[in-house]
Amino acid sequence: MSTPSKHTDTSPAAQREQGVSTLIRKRHKLEAGEMLRRLEHEFPDNPKAMEYFYNLFRQTYCEGLPPQTDKPLVGNMCVQVPDELIRACGGLPVRLCNGTHTLEQVGAENLPARTCPLIKATMGGFQSRAVAPFDKLTLVVNPTTCDQKKKASEQIREMGHELYLLEYPPVKDSEAAREYWRATVRQFARALPRYTGQRLTRRRLKQALGEIDRAQAEYRRLQKIRRSAPAPILGKDVFLVTGAYFFDDLARWTEALACLNDELESRVAAGFSAAQKRAPRILFTGSPPIFPNFKLPLLIESSGAVVVADEVCSSNRMLNDRVAVDEWFLYDMVDAIADRYLKPCTCPIFDTSVDRQRRLLELAQQHQVDGVVYQAFSGCQVYELEHRTVTAALQAEGLPVMYIETDYSPDDVGQLSTRIEAFIESIKARKRKI
Amino acid sequence: MSYFVGIDIGSTAIKLAITNPDGELVISRVTATGSNFRQNALDSLDDLLAITRIPRREIQALIATGYGRKLFREADDSISEITANALGAHRAGLSHGGVDTIINIGGQDTKAISIDHAGHVDHFVMNDKCAAGTGRFLDVAARNLELEVTELGEYHCQAEGVPATINSTCAVFAESEIIGLLASGHGKAEIIAGIHHSIALRTARLAKRVGLGERVLFDGGPALNCGLVSALEETLMRQLIIPAAPQTTTAYGAALLGCELEAISVMESTENPAAHLRADHE
Repeated sequence: MSTPSKHTDTSPAAQREQGVSTLIRKRHKLEAGEMLRRLEHEFPDNPKAMEYFYNLFRQTYCEGLPPQTDKPLVGNMCVQVPDELIRACGGLPVRLCNGTHTLEQVGAENLPARTCPLIKATMGGFQSRAVAPFDKLTLVVNPTTCDQKKKASEQIREMGHELYLLEYPPVKDSEAAREYWRATVRQFARALPRYTGQRLTRRRLKQALGEIDRAQAEYRRLQKIRRSAPAPILGKDVFLVTGAYFFDDLARWTEALACLNDELESRVAAGFSAAQKRAPRILFTGSPPIFPNFKLPLLIESSGAVVVADEVCSSNRMLNDRVAVDEWFLYDMVDAIADRYLKPCTCPIFDTSVDRQRRLLELAQQHQVDGVVYQAFSGCQVYELEHRTVTAALQAEGLPVMYIETDYSPDDVGQLSTRIEAFIESIKARKRKI
Repeated sequence: MSYFVGIDIGSTAIKLAITNPDGELVISRVTATGSNFRQNALDSLDDLLAITRIPRREIQALIATGYGRKLFREADDSISEITANALGAHRAGLSHGGVDTIINIGGQDTKAISIDHAGHVDHFVMNDKCAAGTGRFLDVAARNLELEVTELGEYHCQAEGVPATINSTCAVFAESEIIGLLASGHGKAEIIAGIHHSIALRTARLAKRVGLGERVLFDGGPALNCGLVSALEETLMRQLIIPAAPQTTTAYGAALLGCELEAISVMESTENPAAHLRADHE
C-alpha cells in the first residue's frame, strides 16, 4: 500500500474533495440560476435598470466571476462591522451572510439541527471554500452580536481562516456599552492595517465615509420613491439591489441604483403600478432574505401583494442610518463610526425591542402599509422570542401581522403559499370593509 | 336560475358544493383525489349536475380552493382554503346560532381560524410542515388496528379502561407505537381513545394560539369521528358545533365567494354608466 502524499492531487481523498467542490459549485449555480430566472421572468414589466443587477448576480453566482479587484478581501460576518474602516485601510469589505440552500446543507453537517440556516449556509461556505468569496478571504471579521455567530468563531479558525473578533456589547443604551464598543472599534482601526497593508489616515477615512454616504443617499432616495402609491417597484427587486451591496464595487453600485431611481421617478410621475392597483402593501421584517433565498418575498408578491418596505439587516438596517461626524479628526471620525454601528441598530440581540417597534411603526406609516410579514429563521431564538412584543405593538396600531418560521429548504412552500394567500385575502377583505 | 360551484381539491379528497344565488347549499359531495384529480373533479361535477338536473350553462361561477386550486384551470377564480373555510363555516354556523372560531383538521394539516361577524378571517394559525395529528395520522392508526377510519369513533365510545398514552402524533412513528401497545395487551378501544386524546391536545394548543372564542365550529373529515369530537370537547371545555356536512364547508365557502363576487360585479356594472347605455340598446 502506498502512503498518499499530500503534495499530489491524485490521491483518492484529494480527488474526492475536488469532486465534492465541483458538485457544490454546480448545485450552487443551479440554485442561483433558477432564482434569477424566477425574479426576471415570472413578473412582467421589470424596470430596465434592473438589468444591471440581474447580470451582476448571474456573473457572480452562475458564471463564478470573482470580485474584480486587487485589494485584499475582508469578509464581514454581520452588518455591524464598520465598512468605512476596512475601505479606508485599503481592504474590500464583502458580506459573508449567505442565502444558499446548497451551502446550508454543507454547513449542517457540523452544526446542531436547530442552528439558524444563515449560520449553516455561511459555515458551509467556509468549510467548502468552493465558491467566491470564501476561497479568497484575507480576513474574516466577526462581531459578537448573536450567540451562534460568536460560537462559530472557533470553527472558522479551525478551518484555517484568519479571524478578527469584534467585541460587541449585549445592550446598547448604557454609556458603558457605548464606551466598550468605541474601544473595540478603535482597536479594530489600529489592527486592520496589519492585515490590509495600508495605514489608516484622516484623508482616507474621510474619503471612505464620503463613498459610503453617497451610496446611502441613493438608497434613501429609493426608500422615498417606495413610499408612493401605487408601488413603482416590487420588493423582490429591491432585495436584489441591496443584496448586490454585499459584494459589488461601491461606486458602480451607487451609479446603477441612481439609474434605477431615475427610472422609478419617471414611473411614479406616469402613475405606473408594478403590482395590481389594490395589491396590499406589505412591510417585511425579521430574519433577512439573502439571495438566493427570496422564498418569502416571492411567495408574497406572486400571491398578489407588494413588499413596499422592509426592516431587515440585508436591506434597510444595512443602509438606512448615517454616520454623524462632529469633528473631522481621525479618532473623532472613528468614534462617530462606532456610534452609528451601535445606537440605531434594531437587531433582536438586545434586551428590548422598543427601537425596533418604533422603526416598524414609522415605516408602516411612511409607506402606507396594510400588513406586516415577520420572518423568523428556525433556530434564530432572538427573533422567535421577540415576535410577541413586536407583534403586539403593531397590532395595537391596527396592523395585521403574519409570523412565519421557516428556513432555506423548499419543502414548506405549499403550506406557506396557502397561509400567505389567506393573509392577503384577509387584508383585502378588511380594506373592503373600511 | 343561476348556480355557484365551489370545489375544494384537498390532499385526500375532492369536495364539491353547489349553491343557489341566495347562497343556500343545493348539494355537496366528497370523492377521492386519486392520481388524476382534474378528471376526477370534472367527473364528479358532471355527476352532481346530472343528479340535480342543473344545466351546465346555469353555473355562473366555479371557484377552486385547496392544494390543487391553482392547477385546476377550469375554475373561474381561486381562493385559499382558509378564507373559503371561514366563509363556509360562518354561513353553516348561522343555523347553530353563529360561530367565532373554526377548527379544521384536514388530510395533511390542522388550522384554527378566528372570524368576525361577517365571516372574514381575523387571525389564523396552521400547523408547520409536519402532518402530525392530522387526518393522515388517523388513517395510519386505523390501518394498524385493521379497522376502517369510519369505525374509530364507535370504538372510542366503547372504551372502558384508561385511554392508552400515545406519545407521538407523528404518522411515521405512530405505527411502531401502536404495534407496541397492542403487543403489551392494550385493548383497541383504549388505544383509539388515547389516539383521539393526543390529537385533541395537539389541536387545542394550536387553537389557543389563535384565541379560542365561545362558539367553536369543528369541521373537516375528522369531525365525523364522534370519538375525536368528544375528546376535543373535553380538552377545550366547550361544546363544539359540527356542521351537517363537515367535509364540504370549505367547498361551500368557495361557492359562497362566487355568489359574493357575482353580487359585486352586478353592483359595479350598474354603477358604470356605460353599462346602462348598453342595456338601453338592448
